[in-house]
Amino acid sequence: MNGETGLIEELEAAVGADYVVSRSEDLVVYEYDGSVDKAMPAAVVLPSSTYEVSAVVAIAARHGVPVVARGAGTGLSGGAVAEKGGIVLAVTRMNSILEIDTANSLAVVEPGVINLDISHAAAVHGLYFAPDPSSQRACTIGGNVAENSGGPHCLAYGVTTNHVLGVEAVLADGSVHWLGDRTRETVGYDLRGTIIGSEGTLAIVTKIVVRLLKEPEAVRTLLAVYSTIKDASSAVSGIIAAGIVPAALEMMDSLCIEAAEESVHAGYPKGAGAVLLVEVDGLAEAVEEEAAEIESVCQSFNPMEIRTAADPEERARLWAARKGVLGALGRLAPNYYLVDGTIPRTRLLEVLSAIEEISQSVDLPIANLLHAGDGNLHPAVLFDERDTDELRRALHAGGEILKLCVASGGVLSGEHGIGLEKQEYMPLMFSDADMHAMAGLADAFESGGRFNPGKIFPTGHKHEPGSQAGSVSRLGARAYL
Amino acid sequence: MTTQRLNPFADAEARVVSGDETAAYQIDGIRPSLVAYPSSTEQLSEVVTLAARAGLSVTPWGGGTHINMGNPPESLDVVVDLAGHNRVIDYPAADLTATVQAGVTFSELQKTLADEGQWLAIDPPLPDLATVGGVLATGLSGPTKWQYWGPRDVVIGMKIVQADGVVTKSGGQVVKNVSGYDMSRIHIGGLGTLGIIAEVSLKLTPLPRHQVTLVASYDSTEACIGAALDVFHSDIVPLAITAFDKLAVRRISDLDTGRNHTLAVRLGGRPKTLDRQRREILSTLESSGSGAINALAGDDATRLWRSLADFAWDEATRPLLGVRASVTPSACAELVQKLERLTSPDGKGPAVVAHPAHGTVLACWYPDGEESDSAIAKLASAARNVAEKAGGRLVVEHAPIGTKSLVDVWGEPAGPSDLLRRFKNRYDPQRLLNPGRFVGGI
Repeated sequence: MNGETGLIEELEAAVGADYVVSRSEDLVVYEYDGSVDKAMPAAVVLPSSTYEVSAVVAIAARHGVPVVARGAGTGLSGGAVAEKGGIVLAVTRMNSILEIDTANSLAVVEPGVINLDISHAAAVHGLYFAPDPSSQRACTIGGNVAENSGGPHCLAYGVTTNHVLGVEAVLADGSVHWLGDRTRETVGYDLRGTIIGSEGTLAIVTKIVVRLLKEPEAVRTLLAVYSTIKDASSAVSGIIAAGIVPAALEMMDSLCIEAAEESVHAGYPKGAGAVLLVEVDGLAEAVEEEAAEIESVCQSFNPMEIRTAADPEERARLWAARKGVLGALGRLAPNYYLVDGTIPRTRLLEVLSAIEEISQSVDLPIANLLHAGDGNLHPAVLFDERDTDELRRALHAGGEILKLCVASGGVLSGEHGIGLEKQEYMPLMFSDADMHAMAGLADAFESGGRFNPGKIFPTGHKHEPGSQAGSVSRLGARAYL
Repeated sequence: MTTQRLNPFADAEARVVSGDETAAYQIDGIRPSLVAYPSSTEQLSEVVTLAARAGLSVTPWGGGTHINMGNPPESLDVVVDLAGHNRVIDYPAADLTATVQAGVTFSELQKTLADEGQWLAIDPPLPDLATVGGVLATGLSGPTKWQYWGPRDVVIGMKIVQADGVVTKSGGQVVKNVSGYDMSRIHIGGLGTLGIIAEVSLKLTPLPRHQVTLVASYDSTEACIGAALDVFHSDIVPLAITAFDKLAVRRISDLDTGRNHTLAVRLGGRPKTLDRQRREILSTLESSGSGAINALAGDDATRLWRSLADFAWDEATRPLLGVRASVTPSACAELVQKLERLTSPDGKGPAVVAHPAHGTVLACWYPDGEESDSAIAKLASAARNVAEKAGGRLVVEHAPIGTKSLVDVWGEPAGPSDLLRRFKNRYDPQRLLNPGRFVGGI
């Protein structure tokens, strides 16, 4: 592509020379996200406004080079990797919370705002932003919109799309439009909804209207410890079947417990087969009634121990252990391959047993971390990438787990996205006709090949795996706390 | 017979009728040539494929309850009645999900779910007749929106029959899923113009163990909607908060509070939780200047909420002109006041039902005399002006046929209209699905 001649100069003119990175030694930082893939962009630009984003997109269109939007780069599926080169458009300078509209319980924010900062800013009004990915201290709301991110508390409160009312978006021709707004009903096709979760392939979002919820007046966190995964899984099914949808219902197996304990010291009992972290929130009375029912369900499956966090510090510790598992897995093995399938929650036990079989067949340990309440699994295959055979077996195990999820009535990805990482597995779930229909969105947006090309749909291309654990350590373990 | 030979559906598995038998399927006074009754997704696919080959337009028909929404059809060759496509395909209750064929009626689905202590937490108008597919295609719902969510938030997977008859799916049967684009988004509220909803997977909610409805009354719109917003901003998250005026009350119930404005708050939960909610909301309503507050439960409450959900659609409340405005909650009170001042030529103001927590306002005019189309169109435009000035949008849901050429029933879309047209070109290039009826004549 000779389209890059003069590209850098034009980009510098559009956003300022200080905000265009084009020397290869500086670009290395942008080669990865949190996934196993990497690729080198021609330039990274850091625009400061919608106007500049539009200008950058227009320049890219003229030069025929793709644009890959990037938030904090915490994504786990290769969404922010510039697979086809071109321009990485980092939104990190667009990090203003433009407005908190308490009368309507919403906020208008720029895409580079860090997820948790929205809740921090809203806290003085007793409000918060509900979706809480484990990387919420680092990840941006723009990235959340691209991936339709979830988090432990989306069990009761829903994922990103349920909390975004409208977005201002730059389309592939550089034009700027509002899709949706501050109101809850829409007229015309739900364009807002098509953008959310489209992994940056349809448009670049430059402003976001998010709903804010009232901070719950009470929270209770229970830790239920089981000697076997079977008992813990049964308790999960029991809770849902009892008509309770807790705010969060998380499970960790013995390997995760071990890793988390070594790094966070939350007091998870060693030797346990699995723990459940269950949280209920809301009115004090609701918390009391639901916690009592949950405890009684948990009791009926032979727990080793049930503990209620006595104070906010203990609650924070229990969550730090849970959210820090990803960072802590590095203690067990140099690398891990984190899988993200979702299954019907009633099939937890059989799927976890089958994952154990996969672990034995590839002779690699698999640590299981689950958003158990909504059936979203996060098995982490532990390996050492310096051993090429281990690497091969780890990737094979990941593939086997994805096949297992789909065969069990589930899906490839619950919250991390397809990106580069899982694109070759899409045919497990979708026919050519299904994917052709999906690709039609990019046709309608006229964004095909322009925004984040080479993602989501299979290309038959093999990727050179990098290292998720490597990225996690670069971002710092705190990134996922 | 020649018609038989020309009939492209001669070999179709689904029953297809013509002539007098199509009389019940008129849209804005236009009658289809044929009506097909598929009872499976395969049969539906076959009908649409054959229609596409013959270049015939296709309009999906659920319960027919909202079929007159939108512009008059540009062409109406084949109506596909999905009433027989009405099975619950899979209902793993312990997973809190269900997968159904599009033609199942809302009531029937809710009944099945209630047996397991669950529900789909939206309540569209006329649920005994309205089908799940129809409700999603129109995107309509009633007062109850769990945590103020709507139809688009309860769908986790969808199977579509495309304009060319090909069946495609997206999403899945699990509650958390980001695998591929979520195609259901363009079909929910898309009025069947990009594809026909054939099967849907839904995210369910446990039914509240107990419920109670508190009914307060006020002298002014401002006080009534102000109280609704006080409730919205309190620590309590009710199942529904609905404000309605005297003209609406007269048509929907015998609930006479003696005051002009009524506010109903629907609460649900476990016993202690419900008790607390009730106490708090009572005190909120009292301090907002309400008259005597009534508590309704059981059938009385069910009846009230049913009639509020059916408002503008059932026999008793179907208006000559009916509009649905969507604004932010804080813009609600002023919008309602302004709508109340808009009178039909015979001097009658509208009956208004508002759901302030999600900013939805329904206004219906019932003029006594014969009104000219232009007078009704003028009234509709005035209502739209008021809504747009309040930062919102307004859809004309009910209007005499003659009015629809004088006022754009949809108004401005929430996105660029050329992009909407590109969607139509991509997914229905022959313009066969419900042509002309959607936003901007799509």
